[in-house]
Parts: sequence; C-alpha cells; structure tokens
Amino acid sequence: MKPFEYKFSDKLDEILHILSQSGTDAKILAGGTDLLIELRRKPKVYPGVIVDISFVNELKGIFEDNNHITIKPLSTHTKIFKSDIIRKKAYLLSEATSQIGSLQIRNRGTVGGNIMNAAACADTVPPLIALNAEITLRSQNSVRSFKLNDFFIKPYKTKANPDEVLTEIKINCLPKDAKSTFIKLGRRNALSISRLSVAAVLQQDEDGKIIDARIVPGAAFPTWQRVVEAEQMLIGEKPGIELFRAAGAKVSEVMISYTGRRWSTEYKEPVIAALVRRALERCSI
Amino acid sequence: MEQDKYKIIGKPEKRVDVLGKVTGKAKFADDYNVKHQLYGKVLRAKYPHARILKIDTSKAKNLPGVEAVLTADDIPGSKVFGIVVQNQSILAFDKVRYLGDGLAIVAAKTKEIAEEALELIEVEYEVLPVVTDPEEAIMPDAPKIHGDNNIFVHHKVRKGDIEKGFQEADYIIERKFKTQFIEHSYLEPEAILAEPAEHGGVRIIGSVQNLFSSRRSVAAALNLPLNKVQIIQSTLGGSFGGKDEVMTAMCCRAALLAIKTGKPVKMVNTREESMLESYKRHPYTMYYKWGIKSDGSITAMEIKIYADGGAYASMSPYVTWRSVVQATGPYYCENVKTDVITVYTNNNYTGAMRGFGSPQVNFAIESMIDIIAEKVGKDPLEIRLQNGFEKGAITATGQKLEHNVSLKEVLLKAAKEIDFQNKWREYKSQSDAPIKRGIGIACSYRGVSLGAEGTDAAGTIVSVQTDGSVIVSSGITDMGQGAQTQMCQIAAEVLGITMDRIVFLNTNTSRVPDSGPTVASRGTIMGGYAAKRAAETVRSTLMSVASEMTGYDVEVLDLKDNYLIDKDSGERLASFSELAAQCFKKGRPMFGFGWYKSPPTSWHEENGYGNAYFTFVYGTNIAEVEVDTETGKVNVINFVSAHDLGRAINKQTVLGQFYGGVAMGLGYGLLEEFEIEDGIPKQLNFDEYLLPTAKDIPNIKAIIVENEDAAGPFGAKSIGEPTNEIAAPAIINAIYNATGKRIYELPANLERVLLGHKLTRKGERGSVQKEKEELIIESCKIK
Amino acid sequence: MKKVNEIMNKVKIKTTINNRSYKLDVLPNQTLLNFLREELGLTGTKCGCEIGECGACTVLINGEAVNSCLVLVPQINGKEVLTVEGLSDGEQLHPLQKSFIEHGAVHCGFCTPGLLMTAKSLLDENPDPTEEEIRNAIAGNLCRCTGYIQVVEAVKNAAGEY
Repeated sequence: MKPFEYKFSDKLDEILHILSQSGTDAKILAGGTDLLIELRRKPKVYPGVIVDISFVNELKGIFEDNNHITIKPLSTHTKIFKSDIIRKKAYLLSEATSQIGSLQIRNRGTVGGNIMNAAACADTVPPLIALNAEITLRSQNSVRSFKLNDFFIKPYKTKANPDEVLTEIKINCLPKDAKSTFIKLGRRNALSISRLSVAAVLQQDEDGKIIDARIVPGAAFPTWQRVVEAEQMLIGEKPGIELFRAAGAKVSEVMISYTGRRWSTEYKEPVIAALVRRALERCSI
Repeated sequence: MEQDKYKIIGKPEKRVDVLGKVTGKAKFADDYNVKHQLYGKVLRAKYPHARILKIDTSKAKNLPGVEAVLTADDIPGSKVFGIVVQNQSILAFDKVRYLGDGLAIVAAKTKEIAEEALELIEVEYEVLPVVTDPEEAIMPDAPKIHGDNNIFVHHKVRKGDIEKGFQEADYIIERKFKTQFIEHSYLEPEAILAEPAEHGGVRIIGSVQNLFSSRRSVAAALNLPLNKVQIIQSTLGGSFGGKDEVMTAMCCRAALLAIKTGKPVKMVNTREESMLESYKRHPYTMYYKWGIKSDGSITAMEIKIYADGGAYASMSPYVTWRSVVQATGPYYCENVKTDVITVYTNNNYTGAMRGFGSPQVNFAIESMIDIIAEKVGKDPLEIRLQNGFEKGAITATGQKLEHNVSLKEVLLKAAKEIDFQNKWREYKSQSDAPIKRGIGIACSYRGVSLGAEGTDAAGTIVSVQTDGSVIVSSGITDMGQGAQTQMCQIAAEVLGITMDRIVFLNTNTSRVPDSGPTVASRGTIMGGYAAKRAAETVRSTLMSVASEMTGYDVEVLDLKDNYLIDKDSGERLASFSELAAQCFKKGRPMFGFGWYKSPPTSWHEENGYGNAYFTFVYGTNIAEVEVDTETGKVNVINFVSAHDLGRAINKQTVLGQFYGGVAMGLGYGLLEEFEIEDGIPKQLNFDEYLLPTAKDIPNIKAIIVENEDAAGPFGAKSIGEPTNEIAAPAIINAIYNATGKRIYELPANLERVLLGHKLTRKGERGSVQKEKEELIIESCKIK
Repeated sequence: MKKVNEIMNKVKIKTTINNRSYKLDVLPNQTLLNFLREELGLTGTKCGCEIGECGACTVLINGEAVNSCLVLVPQINGKEVLTVEGLSDGEQLHPLQKSFIEHGAVHCGFCTPGLLMTAKSLLDENPDPTEEEIRNAIAGNLCRCTGYIQVVEAVKNAAGEY
C-alpha cells in the first residue's frame, strides 16, 4: 500500500471538519471491504488522506420511530441481518444482507459503504429503494437529502461531494400485511456477486387485490429504479402466475429499453423476467 | 478379521504434521524470514508475444535500496529449463511468449522498493502476432512460438482396423467437446527464501513440489554441481501438480539474486502474479467418433484431440500421453485410432494438474457413453456394465489387464448406494417445474504412477534413534495430501511402534535420494513401498539384536505396541527403546534405506501400443443435481464416490482425498474457468476465478473399495487423482438427465446451461460473441 | 505537490492481541494481516488473496471473524484481536483444534488457521449450530484440499464440547 495520511475521529463534527480541509484528495474509510481492495490495486488517482469514520458511534445503530426505520450508515450487514426491527419490518433487506459475500465481509462491510461505493451489484440498494429509502448527507456546512433512487448517476458514481458523509438512511416500515423478498442470483452459493437480483414488495387488500407493488431489479439497469411500468400492471389485480409472468416480461422489456441489446442481454432478458415472477410469487403466498 | 490384520495400516491415525497446522506454528514458505533478507520481484511481459529488442535496467539499478537488477544476460549457465523440452526461459531473452514470462528480476531492501524498481525498467519490444487457439496454431501461416512448428507432441494409439470397425457399426456418432483452462488454486501462493551457502552454493527453502527437478535447473543455471544446491521443502500449502515449473523458475531467479547480492532473497507471489504466471490444466478440443451396434457394443473409436500446451512444453508430453492411453475409457473396442496433438500458443503454458490429462478425456468419454446408451435405449449403468472392462480385458493400447479389474464392482456399489437406475428413470420424465432434478454417472480406469512415461523409482529412509524414536524421510513429498503420514504409518506398522514415536523430516534434496517427482498419485505406492523396505531393513537388524539379547529365536519374537514380545505368550520382553539402545551399544546399524522401482512397462511411440502402466485403479462417481431451468443454476445435492484404491493406508486421509477430489471436480464441471482473451488472462484472483465454497459442495458418500494389489505396499495403489477425474462428467450427465440438454463445453455455468452456449463480452460493448456451433453428427447406416 | 510519504504520520494505538495489551506506533498504510505477520511475527495468519475472498487471513476482532487483509492497522485501536496463535490455552488445545485433528479436517493446513477462527466465532455465538449454519459461517474460507466435509464434521463435533 502506498503511503497516505491517516486521520480519524470518533466525533462526526471532527470528521466533517477534516473532510472540509482535505478536498478531493480524501477517501472515507468505513468497513474497508471495498476501499482496501481499491488501495491495493494502486489506482492512478491515489488518495492522499484516508479519513477513518469507523470509530464514530453516532453513525451506528438501527432505530425505529413512528413507522420509520433509521439505519445509521456504519451498520454492518451482519447488524442489519440480525436486527429484529429489520426482519419484522423490512424483511427483504434482512434477506439481502444475509446473502452478501461471506461472514467476514458481512461483519465488516457497511450499508453506508455499499451505497456510497455504488457498485452495480450492491445488494442493499435494490431493497432500500423498494423501501423508499431517503438518505442524508452532511458536510461541515450543509445537510442534503436524497431519495435513494435519485442519488446515483451511474455505477460507481453518485451525487455526493467529496466532503460529504452519509449520516442516515431512512426507510418506511413495510405495512404489516405486505410481503417482501430479495432474490439473488449468483454463480455460486456464497462469496458471490449478484449476476442479477430482484427486490420486491407486494401488499394485498382483504379481497386479495394488490394495492401496492414494488419491483427493483439489481445488476440489470444502468442505475437502480423501481420498474413502475411493471408495478402498475399489478395494482388492482389478484395475484396469478400469468400476471406475474407478464410483469416479469415487462421488467425485461423496460431493462432492454434502457440498456439496449448487449452481449449479456440474451441471458438477462429471460432470467430477470423469471426472477421477477418468482419474487412476486414469493410475496403472494 | 480384516480390521485386526494390521495395527496401524488402515487406521485413521492423525497426520504427523497436524499439530503445527492447527496452532499456527507450521512454517509455510512465506513464514520463513532471516535478517538482512532482500525482497525479489519479477518484471513480467507487457505483451503475450513480442521480440525483446532492449532491456534497460540502469534507472532501476540507481534507485536507492535496490541491490540487484538482473536479466537473462546475468545467468551464468543454462538460460532455459524444462523437464522434457528445454525451452522455457528463466528470464526471457529473445522473445516473450505469454504474459507471465519474466524479463528481469530485482532484489531490494523492501517489497515496495522492488516494485518501484520494476516500473523503472525499460523494455523495447517488437510486438508479434498472437495465436491462442490450438487449431489455428497448426495452420501453416500461424505465428510460430518456438522454431518453425507449433506442434510439439503427437501421441497415437492404433488398434485393429478403424475402417472395418465403422463398417460394422449400425450407428456412427460424432461429437465435439471442449474443456477450459483451470487453475490449481493452491491456497498458498508460491514463495521461497534463497540463501547463499558456505560452499559457494545456494540453499533454498520454499513451496516446491518437485524438489529434484527444480534443483537440476538451479544447478544448471548457476553452473553449480547438484551437491551445492540444496532445496528444502517448507510445509506446502497445496499444490495439486502446480508447484513444479513455476517454482523452478522462482528458485532459479531467487538463487541468482542471492548469489549475485550475497544476501538472502525472499520471493513471494501475490495471488495475481501467481495466476498470471503459473501453468494451468490443458484445455482440450476433442473430436470423438464412435461406431456402435444397435445392441450398444462399440465397434470403433476414432478420437482426435488438440491440446493447448501454451507457451512452453512443460509436462505436456507426459500429460497428453496419459490422455492418449486412457482416451477410450474402460470400454471394450477392437478398433481404435487416437491422436493427441499438442501445440504451442501464446496462452499460459499448461502442465501437471491433478488428473494429468484424464479429466478432459473422461468428460468426453463419459458423455459419449451416455449418448450411445440413449441411442440404443439403455440406461447409463447398463451400457457401462455391458461395455466395461473385466479381468483379462485388452485395453486400447493392447495391454492385458491381469490384476483385479474392479470396474463393475465400483459401478454397482455406487449405483446401489444412491438407487441410481430408479432415480434416473424417474427424473427422465418429470413434470414441467422450473427446478428439475437429474442424476448422472461416470466411471474411469486409471494407470497408476508414471507408467511408461519415465523412470519410476523412489527412496525412503527410516532411522531409529538411540532412544527408540524414529525419523522418516523420503524423496517423496507432502503437499497436504498426507504422504508423510502414510509413509510413517507403514514404517510404524513394520516396526511395531506407535505413530507418536515418529517424526517426518521435510524433504531436503541433500539428504534423501532423488525419487522423481511426487506426481501421478505415486506417493503412497512408491514412497510407501520404499518406506516398507527401509523399515524392514531396520527391523531385521533389531530382531537379530533382540534374539541375541533374549536368547530367543527370531521366529518367536515380534515387535508390537512399542515392545519386543514373545509371539506365543505375548509377554513383553523389552521396550522398543531398550532394544534400540541395545542395538546402538552393539554397534549395529539402525538406519534403513528402502528403494522401490516399479514393475516394468513398455510403450511403442511410433505404432501407438504398449503395456502402459503396471496396474490400474477403477472408480465411479454419481452426482445428483438440481437444475434451475430458468436461470441455468446447477446445485449438486448428492454425491457418491466409489474408488478401488487397493488398500487404504489411512482411511481418514483417503476420505479427505475422496471429498477434496470431488470438490475440485465440481469446480471443473460448474464454476471454474481461467479465460484468456488474445493472450490476456481475465481472472487473476479469487473474486473472479470461482472456487466452490462450503455452500456449493454437497454431502459426499465415499465408498472405499479395497482389492489389494501386489504392486503396492500392503496392497495399496493410488487415490489422489482418481477422485478428481470423473466428478465433472457425472455432473454433466446429471444435467442432461434433468434437462435433456447436453453440455459439450465446460464449465456448465449459468449461460451454458440456460442458453447452450457461452456469452463473452468481446471488443466493443454491445457486440455479442457466440461460440461456434458445436459439432454434432449422428448417422444411421443402412445396410 | 506535497509528497505524502514525507508527511505520513504514525498512529498511536492501544490494542489487545491474543490477550496481551500493546501500545504501538504504527504506520497506517498497512493491513492488519501484514502487521501481524511482519511486525509481530504472528505468521499463523495466512495471506492467500489479499482481497477478502479466501478467508485464510481470518482473525477475530472483538469476537467477530474478519478478513485481516481488509482491515487497516489503526482500525484495531481499542479492540481485541485474536489470531490462531491465541486459540489454545497454553499447551491445552482448543476444542476446535482437537476436533480438526481428530476429524482429518486438516490437509495442507494453509486455510486451517482462518477456518479455526471463523469456526470459533460461530461456536462462541451459537454453540449448537446446524450443518447449514456451519456451512454458512465457513463459506468465506476457501479450501482447495478437503471439500469441506471433514471441516464441517469437525466443527459440528467441537460444538459438543462447548
């Protein structure tokens, strides 16, 4: 590893101050599961300052408040996976975090890091978007909020400024009668990068009609988004295999309208449709 | 009865090297450090094929902290090495032939300085056209890698009359199969520490599999006699055939730096360096054409195989020779014509890897036999039982099998264990659910040890100390498979002592005889036999001393549980320690050396026949899978592995070989692929090169079959490689049973299973590269 | 432009490694893995990939299994680190070590220290894991020799002694 200046604090204010002084030369270190790999690769643009936020306790924790859940960004995947609040009220996020990498990675990697690194295969992002996540970024002089689905520009590129720290992720609790799931397709059963994934939420009324539907594919679109076209097809309908099949096909169609036909489309086109159908089936049982 | 026959043989004795391995005290190569050591690094090629016009090291030499920057010009002796063909450069001097070629080496005070120095070395290249496909490499106008012909090995087998065989056939079935490069993926990357020695030579300790061949190359490169080059094996973190030539190159380079600087030099590959430079398992393109009768018997086999040897010859001549011998599988056929052609390309060179030329052909053979079964309406077990070898069978190379041919025994035992035939029938006609089950079988026969490849002999030393403790050492090495333990068990059995009395000395080229390479699953049969003889030598001395000591006849004495006993009464007459002390006092030798040379084999290279191996082993694997027909994901949910290994010296290490072999075969079948595009490897670390994890391996039912073979110690033959050579075809056959779609190219990854072909991103984004149509020809002859 | 290596500050940390407290001045640009191996001579922790894929470098930080190749040394400030060298109690082997020996879970041994540490973190938290839980826990430890079967058996069996 090439040399850099290492700065840390256990207070957010001090971190923000350090960042305000460091300019574009600084990189934030949280869980380290992405950053240390990057540093080892000796990138051309090598950070001069590493700002370690991993000791900042105010950036840790998962709290429930009034139908909302606040997830602090330094929550590790393990913490999220083990959280009762998440399991009960944002189940698909629990499912997603349980499948990330390995135990060792889940023990270190943080949800904040997953968001800020913005890899196309980031497994927490589709569930968070399905949960209508809002995030808060702070710098020394500003506080900005984004809907998570508006935050990404392209893979590995977000709207965050170098002096900003992600301080909060806020999601809506899922209604009691809503069902959710996250399906991940990897090449092997652990230590796997999502080839494709789907986050889905369905809510039915007493007659069984779908009143809320959310579908967010992962590793499929240039940036993550809910596939409103497919969601709309479901609203007001009763669950059924043909309906879900059609919704899956719609997601495929929308995906191709964004990406065009590429080398991988031949595979992704049928598979994302099948995964969406399965996700919806799981949410309606 | 059987259980009581031996005290130590067959028992799950713990590994002799295990304590250090669970406490962190075991010293692997990178764990050795000495004061003032320098760090060596290698500058590797920028292009997969280019002429070297100039290497300027002056800037690198001037970097503070750098103690030496060397190129091929600094090698005093032989600049090339090779076990069969001497054409692999220690440091490239005329051309670079693949991206892993080294051009210059640096020794510096720290790793960081060494790496910085590499960036200061300036190389002028003349870029040459690249050839990466073996079938293109044989074209007249293809770029030449060495000399003027890229074909460097052509092995043949000829039996009967192939024309006549096809005429007799009712059906002719032709298929094309392809396999991929795979990486050994020993968890421990290559590492060594080389120190200048007192006598002007060099002492090397490191992760070397085949110490003697590496030593020969170091001696030749440095113009030293063999006795001044000492190579000591550190605890080896896996090898699987992989720590041979790549380690030889590292040994030569580090030794050169150590001699030039007069200081110890440490060299450690990162995983990326390891994957970039190290050799791989050969990819094969295999054309199989079989003539069959409508009853399922095989009248002719015509087989043509192109093996990608990559940039250097390495073990290719031997690897592909095993392929040519075993290419027909254990099936009767009167008329055989097999050609295996190996060519140079600008890919990573290919060499020894667990299986050694068999996993590739077994994939083709075991797919073909299933294909013909379906053609004639038989099930996969029936067709194998119908065509499979029995005692007295004549193989494709004309060899009569005189030992216990247990092919049918292993087939039937494995099939029974998992209820193969019923499941196979049931899965063939299952409902239309997206997740389908399938079951597949594969079997093989395998020649034991080196066979007619070369000299096959090994030595082991058993040395009893004056206190009755024992040191065993051998030219056969341990990579983690447990060879040390097996040899110690054999010595313990012969000497009537317990395992805790024995220490195994890590192999040191200056202290044990050159025993050839520890390859070809020959560790137990060769090293073990030598251990038996060495221990017997010591035993006979001890017994004669015992007789003098007690006044009893030798015939009534025995050694048991660390005591000298009266055979009849079981009375303990003296402890083993007392006996040892007495032996020393009487000035008798307590040192036994055992040498074992394998029974004779023969090979007629021109006419393609011979008694290729002195004995064979037989195995069967059955895989049960779940195929997600909507995503292409395959999960192996059940597995049976049955092998006749002669005798298990240590049941526990044998089981370990069964399990590990299957796991590696599963990776070969489903996950692993080292892709090289235009000479540039795409997977250089374990994020992209996918090994099976604990969640990918099913429970494996191991069936140990023991038909003792006179050729091995206590009847033992071999097990390391057999376990690895048929898992992939069993899985592929299971996928077919589930889906009705046959995979002709490994690995059966998501795309191949779903789409029937591989997807490759090539060139411009958006362009789709499909693999060429597979060759599938079936003809029904009208008579 | 300022040269970072000229201004690189050493970082003062307090930490506990294998139950021994340390006060250290460390260069921040090194991984915990390298620090353990090269500065402290604790070479039991192995380096297999340096990108958090193979698990050979697994150690425990405050009881949690982590890849030490993905931890910067100053990040262990105030934390407790346990490596394979700290697993046994003097001469007395840890139940997992005994069980690994007994069940033939050790072949080449290169992945063994990492596997032991991961298994310890599992059993400390869940003394009676199912086979699935064991496989889930050790999935981040690649092993090329064993096919994992004997490792799973060893962990399951050691659980009995917890």
